[in-house]
Amino acid sequence: MYIRVKRNKSTYFIQCEPTETTLSVKQKLHSLIDQPPSNQQLVLLGTNDVLEDSKTLADQKVENDSVVALALRKDDNAFEEIFIARPEDFMSSS
Amino acid sequence: MVGKGEAPAPREPEEEEEDTGGVVKLISAEGFEFVVDKKAAMVSNTLRNMLTSPGGFSETRQGEVRFPEISTHILEKICQYFYWSLHYSSGKETAEFPIEPEITLELMMAANYLDT
Repeated sequence: MYIRVKRNKSTYFIQCEPTETTLSVKQKLHSLIDQPPSNQQLVLLGTNDVLEDSKTLADQKVENDSVVALALRKDDNAFEEIFIARPEDFMSSS
Repeated sequence: MVGKGEAPAPREPEEEEEDTGGVVKLISAEGFEFVVDKKAAMVSNTLRNMLTSPGGFSETRQGEVRFPEISTHILEKICQYFYWSLHYSSGKETAEFPIEPEITLELMMAANYLDT
């Protein structure tokens, strides 16, 4: 299966298995965004549940094609607010 | 691109040396980025040619391809199709690939361009 990890204007398609842990997904993201798992927070869109590192995706109701929001740690050590840009806000004249 | 469960014709096995590792970034008309596995992007023959042609297109050497003509919604749908196709084109199991009627025309035009 795959999930879509979104932050601002970026979407990462991550191939994964339901039996995989959240941490394993964060490690895959690490290779794409240069941020270690400890600086990543993943939130399942729809329920707004924060995904826990040690739990599997299946345990947390993350399914194929699920959308997960990514928040990164800020300088003050807190996680940033979740923000996913919408294409409607960037429409050129059409 | 097909709406129902018909999988695309199986591709001939490619030469060993082909590099299908890594990811590629696809950028929509509004500047949204979609990062997908190269092997998923290669479901599109147009992208496959770009990514594998000797010397390469300048965009693909940096792992980025811009689509000023394709809107974000459509490009995302296309990326979902790439993964759907990877999973189901083997033919053992099928599932329908959902396409909302209102995007059909735009999606078909993009699919035509991408030879997908």
